[in-house]
Amino acid sequence: MTTTLALQLAIAGLSVGSIYALVALAIVIPFKASGVLNFGQGEIVTFGAYAALVLTQLALPYPIVLACVVALGAVGGIAIERVLIRPIVKAPEFTLVIATFAIGLLIKGAISVRFGDSPNTIDGPFGGEPIVAAGLRFNPTSLWIFGCTLLVTFAVIAFFRHTRLGKAMRAVSVSPEAAKLMGIRVDRVYRWSWAISTAIGALAGLLVAPLIGINPEIGQLILRGLLGAVIGGFTSIPGAVVGGLAVGLIETFSGVLIGSAFKNLVPFVLLMLLLVFRPYGLFGAADVQRV
Amino acid sequence: MRTVLLAAGAALCALALPLHAQQQGVTADTITVGAHGPITGPAAYIGLAGRDGMLLAIKEINTAGGINGRKIAAVFEDDGHSPTRALAAVKKLVEQDKVFVVMSVGGSNATVGAVDYMKEKGVPYYVSIASAPQVTWPHAKNLFRGGTTETARYGELYAEFLATYYKAKRIAIMSGREEYPRNEGDATVDKLKTWFQTAPVARVEFNIGDKDFTPQLVEVQKANPDVVAFFGNPAEAAIAMRQAKELGLKQPFFVGSNMVDPALVAAAKGSSEGVMGFSLIPYLPGSKAPDMTKWEAAWKKEYPNAPAGRPNNFDLLAYGDMYVLAEGMKRAGANLTTDSLVKALEGIQDYRVGSVATPRTFSTKHHIGNLTLVPMVVKDGQWEPVQWTSARESDILKRYN
Repeated sequence: MTTTLALQLAIAGLSVGSIYALVALAIVIPFKASGVLNFGQGEIVTFGAYAALVLTQLALPYPIVLACVVALGAVGGIAIERVLIRPIVKAPEFTLVIATFAIGLLIKGAISVRFGDSPNTIDGPFGGEPIVAAGLRFNPTSLWIFGCTLLVTFAVIAFFRHTRLGKAMRAVSVSPEAAKLMGIRVDRVYRWSWAISTAIGALAGLLVAPLIGINPEIGQLILRGLLGAVIGGFTSIPGAVVGGLAVGLIETFSGVLIGSAFKNLVPFVLLMLLLVFRPYGLFGAADVQRV
Repeated sequence: MRTVLLAAGAALCALALPLHAQQQGVTADTITVGAHGPITGPAAYIGLAGRDGMLLAIKEINTAGGINGRKIAAVFEDDGHSPTRALAAVKKLVEQDKVFVVMSVGGSNATVGAVDYMKEKGVPYYVSIASAPQVTWPHAKNLFRGGTTETARYGELYAEFLATYYKAKRIAIMSGREEYPRNEGDATVDKLKTWFQTAPVARVEFNIGDKDFTPQLVEVQKANPDVVAFFGNPAEAAIAMRQAKELGLKQPFFVGSNMVDPALVAAAKGSSEGVMGFSLIPYLPGSKAPDMTKWEAAWKKEYPNAPAGRPNNFDLLAYGDMYVLAEGMKRAGANLTTDSLVKALEGIQDYRVGSVATPRTFSTKHHIGNLTLVPMVVKDGQWEPVQWTSARESDILKRYN
């Protein structure tokens, strides 16, 4: 393999990995705050893509579309948390997981009924013509997604470290009861964790639509997002991003080096191996309890 | 006296016999037609359209008085594009719903799961969209294929077009790992070999639903082909064509007939410019041909809230085939049975509901309704016909002699 080819594959791997990283990030945030694994997150991505399609068809400029999609995602998350999750928040974890799965199916069903299953697409903000530099070809939309992923990651890390709400979320994730006794409004924390994660999910839909198209099956990305999140350690924000990027790179390189028939298989095999040696993923850590 | 009573009893039995031996799914005023196709999952663009096209035709036929005094009632089952679900669907239709005939408006992947069961049951099975060879070869009395053609015919036309129109010596093939695209790829490879003594310079596969085709495209790029033949779904083709451009592949793309549809242009936008493929219908939805405009208006009146990309080719295929099936039932006469329907369908020669459909022809030897496909190219975001006709005689009818 030549250096140019290796670099070109790295670009392709990071491009698809950025998509997985965003989905992984959107899975990890509510889990970090409330312990709920949202299996409907893939459909939130689908929702974001279709919202972007509708807004683009209204001839709105890209920045407005972006702002509206993020806002719609956040409002959708708040509505889901208030109407569907909060009434059952004390149910066993498994029930909550199944509930999020059902929410995903509802969203997907509604999208299929309204928009049908024919594929569609929107243009990226910088057109579709590849940029050629140093013998390498870059898709400007891929660079845009990569940049957005990094920006969102740093913003989320800063949010958790430096804002009152972020710190409250961390406290709630450790012990909702103790957080409540310290005066933290746990309901409010849950609500905003959903809002942030669904906003990121919807943003992911908008960003990936020019690359992978728009159809009701976009939600299948959740499998790769979950894979990235588990590799990263599931509660780590940088871990989710590194995990997502790693999955993209592994898929692309294994497809070329081992064969395209195995490219979907290799990341799962490597995950199993990783979990044998690092059961908490790359960035995760075991819960330590003072006794 | 005893003889008279026996004769009277025999006569009464003879009169009563047709009532007791009544054909399943046929009553004095109704013919029940069962159908299956994918209305959920990645291939739902086939089944939703197939169902709607079929139901539009049924509504028109019933409004026009039905068939020999009977109205058509339809029962539809979702097969999810899965062979096991298709088998469950046809079992339900035949054994519980007691339909007279089953129509498949699904893809090959699902339809192959139902073929053996339908052969065993002997219930007429009219396949509109699936091109899997098993439907029409080996020949089965009760199985018919309508608007689509057999995969082997695709292979003949694709190979000839690639070799003569593109004048390609180096052909790369990218195909999905499921039944239909793999069959298309295999049939093309077979005819390239037997008719043009050439083999593909690269043959790569992918999974339906894949989002990244870089590994396959790198392999294709290394082989330096004259043309890339892609068999899969529009969603995958759109990604692959965009990524090909990004990787610097300048070779033209040729696509399977299921992708010669406005959906590909909607999904791939500029990347679809110059793409070629064969259409199973004379005009694509969106065409300005008067008959097509009229048909689309009727379709949109029936489905006013349809999503973007509809109606598509599969609406038209199933619409045309429902009319062919209805024509067969009409010709079978008042005594509608499996045998009379099969006999009537085998008498159909160049029948079509209008210029929006290709003519269907069946015979006692073969049940492949359509051997005619129209080559098309994407020009300025629209599919347009290409002036090219096949110069070779098809091999596939020879095996029925």
